[in-house]
Amino acid sequence: MDNGWQGKILRVDLTAGTCKTEALNEEWAKAYIGGRGLASKYLVDEVSPDVEPMSPENKLIMATGPLTGTYGAANGRYMVITKSPLTGTIASSNSGGYFPCELKYAGFDMIIFEGKSAHPVYLQIHNDKAELIGALHLWGKSTKETEDAILSEFHGDAKVACIGPAGEIGVHFSCIINDKHRAAGRSGVGMVMGSKNLKAVAVRGTGGVKVANPKAFRDVSLEAYGMLKENPVTGEGLGALGTPVLVNVMNQSGGLPTRNAQSGTFEGAEAISGETLASSYLKRNKSCMGCIISCGRVTKLSDARYEGDGEGPEYETLWAFGAACGISDLAAITKANYICNEAGMDTITAGSTIGCAMELFEKGLISEEEIGMSLNFGDSDAMVKLIEMTAKGEGFGKKIALGSYRLAESYGVPELSMSVKKLEFPAYDARAVQGMGLEYATSNRGACHVRGYLISPEILGLPEKLDPAETEGKAGWLKIFQDFTAVVDSAGVCLFTTFGIGVPQFTKFCNAANGTDMSDEDLLEAGDRIYNLERVFNLKAGIDPSQDKLPKRMLEEPLPDGPSKGDVCKLDQMLPDYYDVRGWGTDGIPTETKLQSLGLA
Amino acid sequence: MVQIQFFSLIRMLLKRDAIEIPWADGDTVQSVLEKTQQQIATPFLHKLLDEDGEPHAGTIILVNRKNILHLQGQQTPVTDNDVLAFFPPGAGG
Repeated sequence: MDNGWQGKILRVDLTAGTCKTEALNEEWAKAYIGGRGLASKYLVDEVSPDVEPMSPENKLIMATGPLTGTYGAANGRYMVITKSPLTGTIASSNSGGYFPCELKYAGFDMIIFEGKSAHPVYLQIHNDKAELIGALHLWGKSTKETEDAILSEFHGDAKVACIGPAGEIGVHFSCIINDKHRAAGRSGVGMVMGSKNLKAVAVRGTGGVKVANPKAFRDVSLEAYGMLKENPVTGEGLGALGTPVLVNVMNQSGGLPTRNAQSGTFEGAEAISGETLASSYLKRNKSCMGCIISCGRVTKLSDARYEGDGEGPEYETLWAFGAACGISDLAAITKANYICNEAGMDTITAGSTIGCAMELFEKGLISEEEIGMSLNFGDSDAMVKLIEMTAKGEGFGKKIALGSYRLAESYGVPELSMSVKKLEFPAYDARAVQGMGLEYATSNRGACHVRGYLISPEILGLPEKLDPAETEGKAGWLKIFQDFTAVVDSAGVCLFTTFGIGVPQFTKFCNAANGTDMSDEDLLEAGDRIYNLERVFNLKAGIDPSQDKLPKRMLEEPLPDGPSKGDVCKLDQMLPDYYDVRGWGTDGIPTETKLQSLGLA
Repeated sequence: MVQIQFFSLIRMLLKRDAIEIPWADGDTVQSVLEKTQQQIATPFLHKLLDEDGEPHAGTIILVNRKNILHLQGQQTPVTDNDVLAFFPPGAGG
């Protein structure tokens, strides 16, 4: 096809062991853009919202966008859509690297996995040839070992997305790792993949992607490259320091949740900062396919206690195994990062859950005997040991594997889980950054930062500076950020490009690729449609608006330190505004009129 | 004295993470920025300010951990023993 799409979906029935090609629903592709939006439409159409996430009836969709595999900005993302076993919400986890483009180059826009294989398998795709291969020999292997084995037995230039042991043994926050170091990280999508006995997807594609209007596409690509290159964040900052630059930013701003969010500043921040990483274990930066931002961190440990090499830690990981656990030991954090990548676990939930366990231990709710060791905040050896136990399903690691909500709930204190809808929030304290509190409460996959990253205006001052302590106007900002993010994800582009380019460039990209004539408003309306589609799925799945909330700590325990000392998150001042600007009822349920206007009724 | 903390690309550029500047009555963020540059041979203000002397979009200048954009901008008064933090535009997530 000549419109950004290959026009083909690969449907894999794991129960029957068959792979069939079918035509892409182009009408849906127009309405839902692609990727996250389009795959959500397929999931909603094919899977009941009350499906048991680990049952064969749940489906797992790997989806690219119309821009995935083109040379525009950083156009190499894919998304994994399913019903989450961690949260019970619709899940969409997003990753870059090289695998997403390779899938497109093989000629497929999307893969839909359904059913459950009787034994471990992996999917092998070589251009238009797709078949399931026995994977008993890969079961139990790390993501690195799995990829190396597949490259050896299939094709040396193949790109691989796979689960590690964590996805096989049912760690609730297991992820899908591609290209060894990139993760479709959150919501436990790796657990669903493991439940289907699907170890990996390996793809070799030698085709290309054609766009409808090559001249217009080239023009907007040059415009976007120029903007990204000239922008100090995308042109220099992210390449030099990567996401870890935020450790000092957030700590100075008093919004770095420390010791399970008992405070907002961490005395050890400097030791785990991006600046310290750059002068120690960082070897070089690295790009995903076709990206000029190059934020990836290639690292190698040189520490007497820990060894290894890989990519990361990123900012969220530095926080999760660092400040959240009261740990200022960069080597231990980096080691925990490597273990998670190799076992296939989400570092945010992993670190936050250990931080939660540390608080439970210090409050006397869990004994040393039960854990098998003491677990005080700041104990980096215990943290690394517990991550290893979690990855192997050993001892107390089995409880960590449940995530912080189920862990804290089992000790009668679910309020000590720093999560929303059972998804742990990342490295920004809602009491110091009010708009992020609203984002955590309303995100369709639980407490997530990359559904509406209001840190950008509230802390970083991009595209303009908002006061993080203010609540007024945040609902309107959040809606725009959430809708635009849905567009970016669905198009198959990295969210980091939005520090340098905006809605006008995305509209031009989509129009040039798809041969459409959308306005900026049309594009954002598609984002609104995707957001409401996800919301309706969640409501039908039983995630009612009473779940649009925050942990009691965020609402009732004032920050004890930092520039926001004394503040709580004033969610009650923002949530009614949010429902209003979304066009939902005061009960948080999208109105019939709203759904009709989006073609969702 | 005024404590100046350098972060991110400025720290990498200057190869130092902090400096102390003598405080004088009437000091503002603007005057402290100028005095800091005068004490350091390597030009760094361009990482924070544009050609008109205004902060780049994304520049973060904190006085005692509060962003000057929510105080009085570069005219924010600086008092003895204040701590200023300079971040050039940066982002992550």
